[in-house]
Amino acid sequence: MSLSIYNARLLDPASGIDETGAIFVDRGKFKEISIGQTTAHPDAKTTIDAGGLCLSPGLVDLRVKTGEPGVEQKETLATASRSAVAGGITSFVVMPDTKPVIDDMALVRFITERAKSSASARVYPAGALTTGLEGDAMAEIGLMAQSGAVVFTNGDLPVANASILKRVMAYSASLGVTIMSRPDERALAGSGVMNAGQLAGRMGLSGIPVEAEWIGAMRDTALAEATGCTLILDQVSTARTVEIAKAARARGAKVFTTAAAHSFFFNELDVGDYLTYCKVNPPFRDEETRLGLIEALKRGEIDAVVSAHDPQPPEEKRLPFGEAAFGAAGLETVLPAMLSLVHDGPLSLLEALAPVTCRPADILGLPQGRLAENTPADLILFDPGKPWLCEREHLRSRSTNSPFDGRRLQGRVLKTFVGGDEVFTYESIA
Amino acid sequence: MNDKTDFPIFPHRHLLGMAGLSYPDIQTLLDRADADVDVSRQQEKKKSVLRGRTQINLFFEASTRTQASFELAGKRLGADVMNMSVASSSVKKGETLIDTAMTLNAMKPDALIVRHSASGGPKLLSRKVDCAVINAGDGTHQHPTQGLLDTLTIRRTKGSIEGLKIVICGDIAHSRVARSTTQALHIMGAEVHLCAPRTLLPAGTETWGAANATTNFDKALKGADIVMMLRLQMERMDGAFLPSRREYFSFFGLTKERLALAKPDATVMHPGPMNRGIEIESAIADGEQSVITQQVEMGVAVREAVLHLLAGGRT
Repeated sequence: MSLSIYNARLLDPASGIDETGAIFVDRGKFKEISIGQTTAHPDAKTTIDAGGLCLSPGLVDLRVKTGEPGVEQKETLATASRSAVAGGITSFVVMPDTKPVIDDMALVRFITERAKSSASARVYPAGALTTGLEGDAMAEIGLMAQSGAVVFTNGDLPVANASILKRVMAYSASLGVTIMSRPDERALAGSGVMNAGQLAGRMGLSGIPVEAEWIGAMRDTALAEATGCTLILDQVSTARTVEIAKAARARGAKVFTTAAAHSFFFNELDVGDYLTYCKVNPPFRDEETRLGLIEALKRGEIDAVVSAHDPQPPEEKRLPFGEAAFGAAGLETVLPAMLSLVHDGPLSLLEALAPVTCRPADILGLPQGRLAENTPADLILFDPGKPWLCEREHLRSRSTNSPFDGRRLQGRVLKTFVGGDEVFTYESIA
Repeated sequence: MNDKTDFPIFPHRHLLGMAGLSYPDIQTLLDRADADVDVSRQQEKKKSVLRGRTQINLFFEASTRTQASFELAGKRLGADVMNMSVASSSVKKGETLIDTAMTLNAMKPDALIVRHSASGGPKLLSRKVDCAVINAGDGTHQHPTQGLLDTLTIRRTKGSIEGLKIVICGDIAHSRVARSTTQALHIMGAEVHLCAPRTLLPAGTETWGAANATTNFDKALKGADIVMMLRLQMERMDGAFLPSRREYFSFFGLTKERLALAKPDATVMHPGPMNRGIEIESAIADGEQSVITQQVEMGVAVREAVLHLLAGGRT
């Protein structure tokens, strides 16, 4: 079961390596990372000549929704992971907003077991912060953590009551577990369906103002600071939210930020003629805000980039904009979205890869996400320049509600390995 | 009378909003409507341009005047008109707008008149059907025939539209009429001033074509040729948009004293239905400067013109 890939451009954001070399994998782990080596390892049973393609750690995604259990017509763990590995994602965290909600240890174990038997990627369950995600009663955070939940979150809707959130945070801090929260003041975001502003005004749609996110972030970081809880601000959409996190961190709070890959790519104008595939929360912001977010990413101030994969079947999307569900399928477009920031933007390849590999792994204390000896051999081979047309009928997730549908993208994963096993091989669409 | 020989050029398949309509497009529509007004004033009002054509009025939101106006317009042109009033609440969960559209499309209508509570609803529907779709009001987005009938009323009252100072006052934020009328009048060269309390005045009205947006009604009224009052949507009063009707009337109600700030020959308009005593004094609504009932008459004419141009194409 040993594998050698040679003549590859090794990219490891954790160590800063960007050199030609080879890797040797045995029993699921990296055994040797050999810079400069252009031939196969002599002990390897399988050898692959990468022909100069990029070899990087597999992507680690902190936010994926599936419909399992309960809404399998949207997505299962198996279909999500099929899509994930095709997009180069080898580890992902699944959100607890399912039916039933993942709010006790039996359900956490169910996810883990289901994923083991059906998923080709590594799947990590997130537990609910409050029972039923209702925001009233604390869920069994400790027991779920023991059963394998890696992070706790209230999903798409934040805990509205600050007093309950504070108690949950204090409790979580004592257990040493991490909380992920959407900074979103619902009273202000209200019934909004797209970015607030003149475009929303002209289209006659109610808006979600940026202040809703800022106030949410200020509240959440203040409580994290007060309780000592480790907090991930989930999917920030403005640079000012990143500033709020940074200020809290400067005072000693343990605060991280994530952003959705699509928020670097689209702006509010993409909603265009009421395109519901572009209805996401947080919404696509105006162009200035999008550019500001890219700047924050360039400065390294956004800790992780997530797919925010949220599969929605046609019956939830083929509706008037205001009535359609939020959410975008995103597993297969994280890497091309990040690479667009290399091709057309200010990022280097390593800067684009860090927030989707080692940095999210580090937040959760996972060993993968790097090319390092004796860590899990999760890796991808990709061609950063390969052009392709994203068409939803060719996406591998069960729901294909991608805002990238019809877009020309650049950069494609050609092979994906999880624990040294090849789980995805690109076959061009005839 | 043969209306088909001199069929004017109107390069649109649907009428979903004012966006995309050009100055000549609107001229064409208004000229057509002008002719229809004359016919409507005769004893014999019926024409045959839409004979054999089917018009379906699909109203997902309750409406009396707009639906009646479209029905009358279609009938005067000789179309077979069918009314489908689907109050939103009674649309069974599961039957989506698209399903409804596809069902009706199978009945081969020539025009679908659609009112829907969701902004963009008629647009979505238009992608799924083969016939002309006419937006009869969608959420807080557009109400294009209202914009056109206001424009026609003004043109007939003042002779031309270019250079007129038009003040639109009321709940701009929730008004699809404000959006369509502002755009239409801007295209035709008027100077449109929008006026509302800050909470009902959205950002970016300049992108609709408004010359100015203000919270000071008295100032806005100076030198106005047209004063158009919008209905205060009372159902919105709960969300702390306004303190009270009384306070609203004292700052934004159109009274005799206020109207005196406008030009002496200023014309008063209202798309209806009116809240007398809240946004407009009865004496003014029924006064000689008011053209509110003419607006209703122009509504039928404009809808005839739209139907004629979209559904009465050369065969």
